[in-house]
Parts: sequence; structure tokens; C-alpha cells
Amino acid sequence: MDNINVLIIEDTPEQSDALSKVLIANKYNIVGIARSYTEALKLFYEQTIDIIVIDVFLDGKPDGITFAETINIIPNASKPFVFLTSSQDRQIFERAKLTKPFSFLMKPFNELEILYALEMAVEKFYEQTNVFFSEDQNTVIGNDFLFIKKKNALKKVAINDILYIEVEDRYCNIITEKEKFVILISLTKISALLDANKFIRTHRNIMVNSNKIEEIILADNLIILKGNHKVNLSNTYKDFIKKMNILS
Amino acid sequence: MTSKLQTTMSKIKTNFFLLIFFFPLLLLSQEIEISTSITDALKKLDFKNEKNFSKAQSFYLKREWDSTLIYSMKELDKNQKNELSDYCHFFRGHCFQIKKLFKEAKFEMNLVSKKFPFRNLVNNKLGQISTELNEFDKAIYYFKEVEKRINSNSKEVKIYDLYGNIGVCFLHLKQYEKAEEYLFKSLKLQEKKNVDSDLITLYTNIANLYYVQYKDQQAIPYFKKAYILSKKINSFQSKKNASQNMAVVEENRGNFKDALVYRKEFDQWKDSLNNQNKIWAVADFEKKFAVTQKQKQIKVLEIENQLKNSQRNWLFFSAIGLLLLLTAGIYLYAQKVKNSKIILLQKNKLDELNATKDQLFSIVSHDLRSSVNALKTSNTKLSATLETKNYDELNQLIIQNSGIANSAYSLLDNLLHWALLQTKQLYFHKESVHLFSIVQQIEYNYKPLLLDKSITFENSVSKNSFIFVDLDSLKIVLRNLLDNAIKFSNEEGKISFYTQENQPAFYQLVIEDTGLGMDEKTIKEILKESELLAKKGKSETIGTGLGMQLCKQMIKKNGGSIQIESELHKGTKIILTFPKTEQNG
Repeated sequence: MDNINVLIIEDTPEQSDALSKVLIANKYNIVGIARSYTEALKLFYEQTIDIIVIDVFLDGKPDGITFAETINIIPNASKPFVFLTSSQDRQIFERAKLTKPFSFLMKPFNELEILYALEMAVEKFYEQTNVFFSEDQNTVIGNDFLFIKKKNALKKVAINDILYIEVEDRYCNIITEKEKFVILISLTKISALLDANKFIRTHRNIMVNSNKIEEIILADNLIILKGNHKVNLSNTYKDFIKKMNILS
Repeated sequence: MTSKLQTTMSKIKTNFFLLIFFFPLLLLSQEIEISTSITDALKKLDFKNEKNFSKAQSFYLKREWDSTLIYSMKELDKNQKNELSDYCHFFRGHCFQIKKLFKEAKFEMNLVSKKFPFRNLVNNKLGQISTELNEFDKAIYYFKEVEKRINSNSKEVKIYDLYGNIGVCFLHLKQYEKAEEYLFKSLKLQEKKNVDSDLITLYTNIANLYYVQYKDQQAIPYFKKAYILSKKINSFQSKKNASQNMAVVEENRGNFKDALVYRKEFDQWKDSLNNQNKIWAVADFEKKFAVTQKQKQIKVLEIENQLKNSQRNWLFFSAIGLLLLLTAGIYLYAQKVKNSKIILLQKNKLDELNATKDQLFSIVSHDLRSSVNALKTSNTKLSATLETKNYDELNQLIIQNSGIANSAYSLLDNLLHWALLQTKQLYFHKESVHLFSIVQQIEYNYKPLLLDKSITFENSVSKNSFIFVDLDSLKIVLRNLLDNAIKFSNEEGKISFYTQENQPAFYQLVIEDTGLGMDEKTIKEILKESELLAKKGKSETIGTGLGMQLCKQMIKKNGGSIQIESELHKGTKIILTFPKTEQNG
């Protein structure tokens, strides 16, 4: 599991310092602090970013909104973001509201509030609401990452790193090459949200990342994955083999 | 000589008289006959398509000669020769004859074709016209033509008139024997009919016949007969002529006495005739006068009518105008009333807002001022303490300062939100909110305060409760309520937040404290629906009115409700109800 990369766009150093302190304390990774729109855009392209915290007013101008609008336009580039604002001016809100997904946090805010806002931003961005705060779920499935709430910290796992997923009751065991951990999500939901061509059901409670398959031993009903992980293959789910391009 | 001269003169006179008298008589009888026989003939004719002819004939029958002339002329102008044109020529001839335009009459009559069914009538007319033109030979020719064709019962021409006319013509041609023959033929027929006026003429004619031949003995009895007959009839003209003839005859006989008597009688009849004429003239004049008078009256009436009409029109239009004015007036009045109502409403609202503003100022001036002032004095104390390096007290002061700053800040925040709400400037966006997290976040800010008062805080809100509200307004509500709860709690008190699920679509959030509590009156006061801020009960409970007012409005805006259960000195339960997030994803 990796930490979440956060880009902070904030022109006041005291505020950005306080913010980054809070975020680092909560195991977030600050990839950069931008003071202006151009700087923000530069960092946005240079760094791998998971969440952006944007101050609406940069140097007295609503450049934060402009930035959000910019990344909204660029296809497939947009990331979850949170606006920070101390003004409840309706006009600014009417403009900011048009950026999707729109979430904001009023200044001043405390530690809990910023963490809540970041998590909400991720939920809204991937359109999976009420995940992190419900008791039966703690994972939002993004395009490239799983966002997992472990205790009070938000973590991520690259989907490409996953070897296979083993479902156990309300939990799922995620097995990567390096580690193994448990997330809270139902099988139906995870199978609906994951790419069906990538993750293949091989057993009643096992989904395998097809890219990680090394060998399929039909005789033993076994699948050998990278790192020599062995997974059972049940007869019911053997059909997937027909769909695969087999080199022989 | 003189007597001879007189006789000739009288003869001429009588002749003249004869002629004059002769024609009206003929005409009179003729006219009647025409109306009967020609009407019958006209009825049989088909002239429906000939408008002019139908008009001409109807005017003819009504004896409106001028109109007859005009329409028959029109008919002839466009018409090809046929039966109708004969009628037209005939009408025109007759009309001209009556108008005494004999040459024209003769011309028209000659244009009537030989086929015309009333040939006798035409010839008779031609005879009469020729007589009038003194063309006696021609007249006799025409009359004889009639005589040849006529039968004794002819309706068209009275045979005795015909004989009489022939006789007169012969008389004029001095063919006395023939004249005598025809006149006596006529007499024979006329005596049977016994029409006085006709007889007088005939007698006079016979008398003249003899008298011209100087057969006075034979002439005089006829003159006498005519004279006697003239007494019986009413015509002054006949009487006058008869008496004049007698006077002339007696004079020529030398019977001057009788002649004088007759002459006198003649004068009398002449006067009568003149009188009659005069009377007629006067009557005519009177009639004309009356007519003009009447016309004048009519004109006056017309003018009066016009005047009345214009008056009526004027009245009508002025009535309409007044009505319009009235409607406009009513409309304007209604508008005014409406406007004044609106203005009144606006005024009330303005008054209310003004009162709110005043309260705002009082809050700012009193509460905020005192807070900041407290901070100021505390700071002075702080710097004084700093010199003595009493760190324990220093710490105490700093905590106190931050408390004051916090309360001042929350007051300001409330003020701002309240102002935004009042001016409808507040941004409001409902979304799914995790209630537990929010309560936690609110509590986080109050941790020092809770610690300071040693108040136990408990958040037992269900972790699965998601409500659909505007996050910031919810925070304001919770902040205010927690602030109040802390404010009214005693040391070592307990404040707990928990949820209840009584209704399917709502969550109830309960904020319970073990503080001072309130009486019913205060609760009522707090929950009273009003734009105005509730009056503060205690001076030390800073800004309570504003905070509660704000809470109520925010809750209402979020589609929730607020209830308060409280007991004095035991604690307060504030129950908020918020709509759940709809579960569909």
C-alpha cells in the first residue's frame, strides 16, 4: 500500500505549511505546493497526483477555480480535488459549482475536517458515495488504484500490482507481489467496478488478475501466478480459458 | 251695318266658342274610353322585360303626361320596331295633343303603323288634331275613315261625337247641308242618351248652323234650347256662352230689352267665372302658401330633429367618455390601493429588517465590544504577568484569552452567516453527509473548552447515518448547539450526541446535556417563529438569541425541525430531525 499523493495549491505559506503538516501527520504524501496557477499546472503535469487541494483565491484572484476548470477540460487528466475558501460569496460558489466533482471546505478548518473533505472528494470523484464512513466498506475503486481507508489514513494500491483477490465473507484479501491485506467491500460490488477483462473469476471466491497468470495447470485445477502464488481453479469457471489467447 | 257686323263678330265668336267647347268635350269622353279599352289591351301584352315601357304605360294610365313622354321616348330610343313602339307613338301623340302641341301630335300619330289594333282611335285623334290645325278636309277624311269602320256599339269612339265632329267640320267648310245632315244624325243619337252638356254643345252647333245661313227662325229655338239646358248644369262656361249667344241673337233681332237681360246674365256668369277663377287662384295661392308654410315647418322640424340628434349623440358620447373616465379612475384607484398595500407590506418588512439591524448593532456594540475589551484587558494582564514570570498564571491567562477569542469568533461567524441568510447570499448545497464524522469534527474544536470545564463528551451517533443536508449550515447548527450546551453545563457535566431512528425518512439527532435547563417560557420564546431575534434573558449568555435564531432558520432550510425538551437544573434535550440520504448507491 502506498501513501496518497497530494498537490497543494495555496498562496499563503503559513496556511500551506499548516496544511502540509496535518496531511503528513496523517500519512499523506505532499508532492508539491504551488503558489500560482502556472506553477500548479506545471506541478500537475510533472507529478503523479492523487488528490489536489485548491485555494480558491490565489493572490486575490479566483485562479483556483480557473485551475479546476482547466483540468476539467483536459480529458482523462482530472483528479479529485477540494476547494478551500474563506468566502461564502455566492457568485464565487456559482462559478466553482460548475467544476466537477465539486467539494469545498470552509476556512478555518480543523484536522478532521480536511481529512473528511479529502475522502469525500475521492468518493465523489469516483462516484462511489458513502464508502469510507460506512461500517461495511472502506475501499473506493478508481481507474488505476484502489483507495483504502486503513484506520484513519487513506492508502492506495495500484490495480496492476494486484495478483488476485480472495473474497472472504464481507472482506476481500488483496494479494500483491509484496504484501497481503484485507479490505472491506462486497464481492458483487468489487466485481462490478473492476475491469471484467482484467480480473477473472476462477473460483467461487477468487478473482485473478489475468496479466499475472504464469501458468494454468488444468489437471491439478491450479493457476500459477507471478511470484509463484498458486490459486485454485474450479470447474464452473474454467470457461474463461477459451477467451484467452493461448500460445501453444 | 253695325248689327250685321256684330252678327259676324258674334258668329266668329260663336264659331270660336264652338271650337273651344268642342274639344274638351271630345277629350273628356275619349279619355274615359281609352282607359277602359287600352287598359284591357295593355294587360294582355307581355312587357315585363321592358322596364321603360311598363313605366310609360303606368304613367299614361295615371295621366302623368310628362313622365309618359320621357319613358316612351326611352323605350323608342332603344327599341326595334314592334307592337310596343306603336303604343309608344300613340301615347306620345295623345300626350302632345293634350299639351296642345298639335304638329308633334300629328307626327307621332302618323308613325303608328296600320296594324295597330286601335286604328279607329288613331284616326279619330288625327281628325281632332286636324280640326285643331284648321285642316278641315283632312279632318273629314280621318273622321270618315273612322265612320267606315265603326260599328254602332264601339267603345273606342262615340258615334254621335263622330257625327258631331264631322258636322262641325262641314260647318267650317260651309257645306251646310252635309253639316246639317251629320249634326242631326248626332242629335238623334244624343237625344237618346240625353247628356246635358253634350246636348248644349250640339244645340249650339245646330243653332250656329242655321244662324250662319241666316235662318234665324230655325236657329233661335236651338239657342233657346241650349240656354234652357245650360240652366240645369253647373258649368259657368256653358251658362256664360249660352247667355252670350242669346244676348247676341236678341240684339240682332232688335229685342234689346231681352238682349240686355241676357247680356246682364252673361256678365253675371262671366263674373262668376272670373270669381271662380279668382277663388281658384286665391285657393291656389293659399294652397301654395300653405305648402310653403308646411315646408317651412318641415324644415324647422328637420333642423330640430338634427339638433336633437346631435344633442343625443353628444349625450351618448359624453356618457361613454364619462364611463371610460370612471373605469380608468377605478382602475387607477385599485392600482393605488394595491400599490399602497405593497408599500405597506414592504414598510412592515423594512421595519422588521430595521429592527433586526438595530439588534445586530446592539449585539456588535455590546457583545462583541465586551468580548474584545475583555481580551484587551486580559492581554494587559498577560504582559504584566509575563514580567513576573509566573508561568502557571500565564498559562491560565492564555487559555482564558483563547476562550474569549473563540467565543468572539463564533459570534462573528454567526453574525456573518445570519447576514448572508438575511440577504439570501448564502450558498446552499445539499449533499450526503456522514453525521458521525461531522459531530466528531465539531467536537474537535471544542475539545479544549470541554476539557477546561471537565465535561464528558460522548458521540454515540450511528456510524451508518447519512443525512442529506448542506454541510456548512449543519456545522453552524451543531457548533451553536454544542456551544450552548457547554455554556449552560456545569463543571463535570456530560454532553452526549446520539441518533434515533423513529421515522423511515428521517434521522433524529439528540444533543443532551446535564446543564441548567430552561423553563417552558424560555423554550417557547426560543422556538417562536420570527425574523426578529429573541430578546436576551441574561446578559452573560452572549448572543444566544442570534445563535438560536440562526439554528432555527438553517434547520428549516435543510428540511429539518427542532424540538426542545428541558427541565430546570436537570438538563436539556435538543432533538433535531434531518432527512436521510436516499439509499440508492
